[in-house]
Amino acid sequence: MPVISFILLGSVVLLPAAALWALRWAASTGQFRCPDKVALLPFDESEPVGVATDQILGNRR
Amino acid sequence: MIHPSQTSKNPTLRALLPGDAGAGSGGDGFRKADLAEIDASCRVPVLFFFLSGLAWLIAGSLLALVASIKLHSPGFLAAWEWLVFSNVRTAHLNTVIYGFASQVSVGVSVWLMCRLCRIPLPAPGLVTVANLFYNLGVTVGVGGILLGDSTAIEWLEMPRYATPILFSSYALIAVWTIVTFRLRAERHLYVSQWYLLAAVLWFPWLYGTAQVMLLLEPVRGVVQAAVNWWFAHNVLGLWFTPIGLASIYYFIPKVIGRPIHSYYLSVLGFWSLALFYNWNGMHHLVGGPLPAWMITISIVASVMMLIPVITVAINHHFTMLGHFGKMRHSPTLRFIVFGAVSYTLASLQGIASALRSVSEVTHFTHHTIAHAHLGMYAFFSMVMFGAMYYILPRITQREWPCNGLISLHFWGVALGIVLYVVPMSLMGFIQGTKLNDPTIRFLDVVQFTLPWLQLRTLAGLLMVAGHVAFVANVGWLLVRMFEPYRKPVVRILTGEAETLAAGK
Repeated sequence: MPVISFILLGSVVLLPAAALWALRWAASTGQFRCPDKVALLPFDESEPVGVATDQILGNRR
Repeated sequence: MIHPSQTSKNPTLRALLPGDAGAGSGGDGFRKADLAEIDASCRVPVLFFFLSGLAWLIAGSLLALVASIKLHSPGFLAAWEWLVFSNVRTAHLNTVIYGFASQVSVGVSVWLMCRLCRIPLPAPGLVTVANLFYNLGVTVGVGGILLGDSTAIEWLEMPRYATPILFSSYALIAVWTIVTFRLRAERHLYVSQWYLLAAVLWFPWLYGTAQVMLLLEPVRGVVQAAVNWWFAHNVLGLWFTPIGLASIYYFIPKVIGRPIHSYYLSVLGFWSLALFYNWNGMHHLVGGPLPAWMITISIVASVMMLIPVITVAINHHFTMLGHFGKMRHSPTLRFIVFGAVSYTLASLQGIASALRSVSEVTHFTHHTIAHAHLGMYAFFSMVMFGAMYYILPRITQREWPCNGLISLHFWGVALGIVLYVVPMSLMGFIQGTKLNDPTIRFLDVVQFTLPWLQLRTLAGLLMVAGHVAFVANVGWLLVRMFEPYRKPVVRILTGEAETLAAGK
């Protein structure tokens, strides 16, 4: 059962390790700082905050 | 901008970006691409995923109708042995899960990753090859099921000769996502990217592990059931749910023009989902011959899912507060908000169903089927429909041709799924209570379900009508792609379409 052992070991050790690494990476690169700024990432100059998009229904076509 | 040290070390990766997108801007890294440029770069690969997904949706819907009719009229199409209920029901599940939902979700993920990384789609050939592999895998798999080659393992019914093809496709998508992440021109990650990155890395691991432990080197006895439900439940929670939530967190703010209510809550929702969800699967085996501690831990983790579910619900509700009126004008918002509310309801229903006292009644009844449709259709599929309403006009640079078809789609599927889930949930409870009563004959319980199953077929017809309307509108949109650009009556692209067309 070497393949299964490898998979189980990987699931128990590697995945939690990867999650911890991702958390550490996020903290060290400032991903959790300035949440107000990060929340604005979907917007830009062409589609800024305050402008609704996709308003197409209710108009005669 | 991306950190200079991150890009300068990767000239090979830079070469994957089209045009001059890989050119640094003053040594600070890549330039941020315009949204219209990103949309144009996504056109062919994303269209491939959407169109093939919709083809599977129509096939899956027809299979669902046949299966539903057979439940109350067993003589329907009885002369066709390959359309026996067990084949049709299984083929339906696999076409809609792997053919439709997974493919559309990959298309949406690809577009979202490019937009949030602020780069044109890199390595489009890789994505297209993944799509070809994917469709080949689903075709071989569903064909095998209809020919009687099903493995009889729930959610993994495709024969073992089909699954390596699908796994290759998932692996290619995961590689593409990591490459795109490394090439990003925006240093910070939006919460949608957390969900997408996690989903594309979790799923190949889930799928590969389940394949090895159930098909290639099968484990024995009840462990098979444990692995089966670990996989089947996590497909929902660690593949579809993250992609659905990533879409909701992107599209609600974009459509209403307002950032999400609390970014901290969104991050808390992501990490609590990652922590608790993967323990949930064993609650499907309440009453089964598994060690009690395994099931108990699973029930506890299921209840702990209240944390991500409530944080997501609060965040979505307070973001939408004061903007619900915009649903009248935005097809995207209609579908996405319907899906977001359904996510909360499906999760609460799932948490309740995990409890031993509830599971003893609802297990082995139509309540479980209703719950699966509340999660996979009312939540996930509705969110994907909403996402496609937003993405398709942008990548094709054409407006939706017919508002009437949009309304027919929404009301067909919304009424259809409500008519499906509410009566079936109720009927499941009654059915379970009757099944647990030894004084009631089994045949009487079966006969009690018949009118409810006929209602289910009616609900299915409404959903199929909605799907046909959507596919017709998409087909019409594609026809318009090949016509000369005309200024539309109402523009949803706020200037981008006109600018691009003028430049052609």
